[in-house]
Amino acid sequence: MSRLWLEPESPPPTPAERTGLAARQAELVAALVAGGPLPGGFDPGRLAATRRALLRKRAGQAAQVWPLLAASVGQAWPDSFAAHAGGRPPAGALRDGWDVARALRAAGVLGAGGAEELAGREVGWYYDGVRPPRRRRLPAVRRAGAALFVQVAGRTLRWAGRRA
Amino acid sequence: MAAAAAAEPSGPPARPGQIGPGIGWRPEISGLIADLPELRFCEVIAESLAPAVPPRGVAELRERGLPVIPHGVRLSLGGAEPVEPQRVTHLAACAAALDAPLVSEHVAFVRAGGHDAGHLLPVPRTREALDVLSANVRRLQAELDVPLALEPIAALFDWPDDEYSEPEFLTELMERTDTLLLLDVANVYANARNRGTDPVTVLDALPLERVAYVHVAGGADHDGLYHDTHTDAVPPGVLRLLEELRDRHPPPAVMLERDGRYPPGAELRAELGAVARSAGFEWSAS
Repeated sequence: MSRLWLEPESPPPTPAERTGLAARQAELVAALVAGGPLPGGFDPGRLAATRRALLRKRAGQAAQVWPLLAASVGQAWPDSFAAHAGGRPPAGALRDGWDVARALRAAGVLGAGGAEELAGREVGWYYDGVRPPRRRRLPAVRRAGAALFVQVAGRTLRWAGRRA
Repeated sequence: MAAAAAAEPSGPPARPGQIGPGIGWRPEISGLIADLPELRFCEVIAESLAPAVPPRGVAELRERGLPVIPHGVRLSLGGAEPVEPQRVTHLAACAAALDAPLVSEHVAFVRAGGHDAGHLLPVPRTREALDVLSANVRRLQAELDVPLALEPIAALFDWPDDEYSEPEFLTELMERTDTLLLLDVANVYANARNRGTDPVTVLDALPLERVAYVHVAGGADHDGLYHDTHTDAVPPGVLRLLEELRDRHPPPAVMLERDGRYPPGAELRAELGAVARSAGFEWSAS
């Protein structure tokens, strides 16, 4: 392949790389989790079922890390998760759930429990949506509905406030 | 035993003797597991374990003398890229820390081209994939002091490239690498149902003399296919297949894998009892 010609510094390819197993596997994973095109020869229906099964599994794992968020979405959680996470590679349950919570907030449909869970996380951690979340070194304040979250020196306090 | 193995390098490594029923240890059911006197072993997900400081529940099982088997799920032995050395080192460290009788991993790949699927994916059953798998298995074996058991996975699709049947492929792989078989009867059941084949015929074609231990798990129907979810009850068909295995080749050990949506304790104990009895073991409680 042209790979060798383009990358003269790279080590010689292993037999699997030479005959394309690495490329075929990469193509398959990209189709299953990153919105890549369907690789040739596979049963499209079975790959679609696999893609949905992977999203259901991720939704279940995210629900364990984001229980209030999942509960506030209720029965529709797997579908809601899939609608936002479909085509995005798995980033781990914490970030997967975080991304979905932010997407729901941006769409104005984040429930009270999910909003509190998100605020509680965001007051303690900095997450840019790209790299793994990092602990905040500076104090922060977040509001979710009537609740106020204050984080100082890594400790988070929550004021319930008065419900409207 | 070591002398026999040295004199006969082509035979399968020694299998453990009769062990009994077990369960996949998970933190959520640690309390329930601690209260099961019938258990004879546990398995723990290697990637969830820090070898220097195993979870309290696992440490207590070891103090009771229960064997604990580290089970790798993310080595990607079937990946075209060589297995990552730090993952091999970690699995070997888990085995040493637990004084494990053996370790296990999968006939699968989990990442490629910079993306992680977050799940076990099937490899094409080709000579090329056999070469890749054998090379990665040998890299892992080189770091292990104990036998390695390989588990064939449940998959919702096959590769168009397949040159071997699944039993042929596995038999060839295990002969080449001197590995044991971690037979998941729920995976055999799932694949047979989704391929429209007879699970007992598949069972008969597998190298059952290599079975080190057996996995059983629950599943559910979605999209007209059977999914091996590990979060649902074990269906009667899986228990029947386990009984077929018992009648042919009684397994040394059998264990239930449950990974979420845990039922009440009494229900889980009853399911464990059904699994143990279907495999031919005593289970007095529940």
